Amino acid sequence: MKNDTKSKLSRRNFLITAGVGGVATAAAIATQSVTPDKPNLTASTDKRGGKGYQETAHVRSYYNTSKV
Amino acid sequence: MSASVTPLRFQPPEVPEDKAREGYYALLARLFYAGPDAALLAAIGGAGRIAGEGEQSALGGAWNRLAAAARAMEAEAACLEYDEILVGTGKAEVTPYASYYLAETGREKILAGLRGELLGLGLARSEAAHEPEDHMAGLFDVMRHLISLGSEDVSLQRQQGFFDRYIARSYPGFCRAISASEKANFYRHAAQFAEAFFAVETEALKVL
Repeated sequence: MKNDTKSKLSRRNFLITAGVGGVATAAAIATQSVTPDKPNLTASTDKRGGKGYQETAHVRSYYNTSKV
Repeated sequence: MSASVTPLRFQPPEVPEDKAREGYYALLARLFYAGPDAALLAAIGGAGRIAGEGEQSALGGAWNRLAAAARAMEAEAACLEYDEILVGTGKAEVTPYASYYLAETGREKILAGLRGELLGLGLARSEAAHEPEDHMAGLFDVMRHLISLGSEDVSLQRQQGFFDRYIARSYPGFCRAISASEKANFYRHAAQFAEAFFAVETEALKVL
């Protein structure tokens, strides 16, 4: 367990050194941008309003029939 | 006694770096699923600079260039760029599907395996999405979801496994193909930022 803690610390350090940590603003805007504006804004920004995946309570039977 | 039982609440601890990673994945999923709208460009352009340290500042430099490009870019032009490079009529110049970069043959097996894995995670393609599950944007969104589940060892290992299987070997080809496209301007910066970020991810996920 001690090793776990240690490796987590060095992972954190790595991320901080790489510049991942200190960008609260980037993270904040990115999270907001996951839900883009309503799809009826303009013609050129119409499509693809949502996230690529959504968690579903049950997976539709579609996937059972569409296995490659 | 039983009247005062407080239900256990599983609240993943918030690690700032992981919140940031989640944000990056969300942004990349959005940027590589469709061209940006004006609000998104303004948000990227107005975001703070990343100041990295020493050699590791590749990510910071890439982000700052992407932000500068976002400030200079019209949403309509960026969307057109996206469509020309990644959608196209007929065959797209750069394909956004990971299995293409992961294997020469047997790509359908990769897709089938991915579907099974998503099922196991309780995930499925949104009804609004028509793209196969191995779209890079979908994979980024899965990572965002996995990171949001928490920062403990089990969660990190799950992230590492998914990243290794689907993103680690597909992102270099994907990002470099976009960077190399003559049509790429804003998306060249987006691809270079993505590549820099995934290079950091590759290293960070090794350190578990």
